[in-house]
Order: sequence, then C-alpha cells, then structure tokens
Amino acid sequence: MEDVVETLTRGNVAEVKVLLASVALALGCYQLAVIAVGYGKLRVSFLAPPPAFAAHRAVGDTIALLLLCTGVMCVSVYGFEDDELVHAIAGSALLCVLAIKVSVVRRDFGLGRFLPALGLSVFALLCVTWASSAGGFLA
Amino acid sequence: MSDASHSRQLLGSLVAAVLIVVVAIALVTLKFGASSAAERESLEERQEQRLEAEEERREAAEERREER
Repeated sequence: MEDVVETLTRGNVAEVKVLLASVALALGCYQLAVIAVGYGKLRVSFLAPPPAFAAHRAVGDTIALLLLCTGVMCVSVYGFEDDELVHAIAGSALLCVLAIKVSVVRRDFGLGRFLPALGLSVFALLCVTWASSAGGFLA
Repeated sequence: MSDASHSRQLLGSLVAAVLIVVVAIALVTLKFGASSAAERESLEERQEQRLEAEEERREAAEERREER
C-alpha cells in the first residue's frame, strides 16, 4: 500500500496529505455556514433550507471521501507514531465519529436529534487533526 | 419553492463549494511552491554531489602540492 501511495503522489505524500486535509477543512467551514442556513439559524435570501440540506449532504460526501483517502495515506505511510499521538488519536476519532454520523444520516437509528452535535464533533476533530499536522507544514 | 428554484440554489451552493476547493488548493500550493518534494530532493542531491566533487578536487590538488 505504501508503494501505491508513494507512486500516486510521486513522492509527495506529506504535501498531498496536507492539501487534501486543507481542502476538507475549508469545505468543513463552508458546511457549517450551509447547515446553519438549513436549520434556519442563518437566513439568507439566496438560499432556502431544502437546497441547503441537499448541498450539505453532497459536500459532506465529498469531505468524507477526502478524509478517508487522507487517513489511508497517513496510516499506510506513517503508521501510528508515538510523537504524533494527538494527531493519531484525533484522526482516528474523526473517522469513527464521521462513520457514526454517516450511519445516522442514512439509517437514522432514532438518533437524528444528535446530528448537529455529531457534525460539530466532526468539525472540531477535523480542526484538531489538521492543526496537529498540516498546520505545522503550512506555518 | 419551485423545482427550478431549488435546483438553481443547489447548483449555486455546489459551485460555491467548488470555488472554495480551488482557492484552498491555490493557497496551499502557493505555500509549498511549485516544485515537488522529489524535485527538491534531486536538486539537493545534485548540489551535494557537486560540493563533494569540488572537495575531492581540492584534496587531490593539495596532495599533489605536498608531493612536490
């Protein structure tokens, strides 16, 4: 797997990882604004709640894919390093909470009321994961 | 809300997301620079080789001077 990642990124694993994570974070910020419109917390004339929910879902799927790719690249090339403990824990927790959120969105399980909390948790964990790795690269 | 309006607003939201992606990629690429890590490594390697060769030449010249 490591060779595949190295080949795909042409030896720029860290740079590609930082790029994907940064795009995911930027889209995450956008998601907060869009879902605020969806829940009626933010009212704008050019976007109604139903299309805001649909856009949130579509962009969310993209973010999930980006995070999955970044996670696979990270674990296959770097593994779980002791000196990057915060990053490893935050990244693992992020993927777990994201999986739970996707499951609740698709199947509900009677947990729909927790979606805002799950979404905010995903965003907070994404911020911590990004800051503990990509932030250092870009500082 | 009509279907056309819904579709237009959804499309607008997705276009905004694409623009955010483009800006994020541009900013990160600007920060890293255009050259890839592999290119930078090969450049550094060539510089090291050049320095080593220069040092070897200097040492050889010194040895020749000492022999004389």
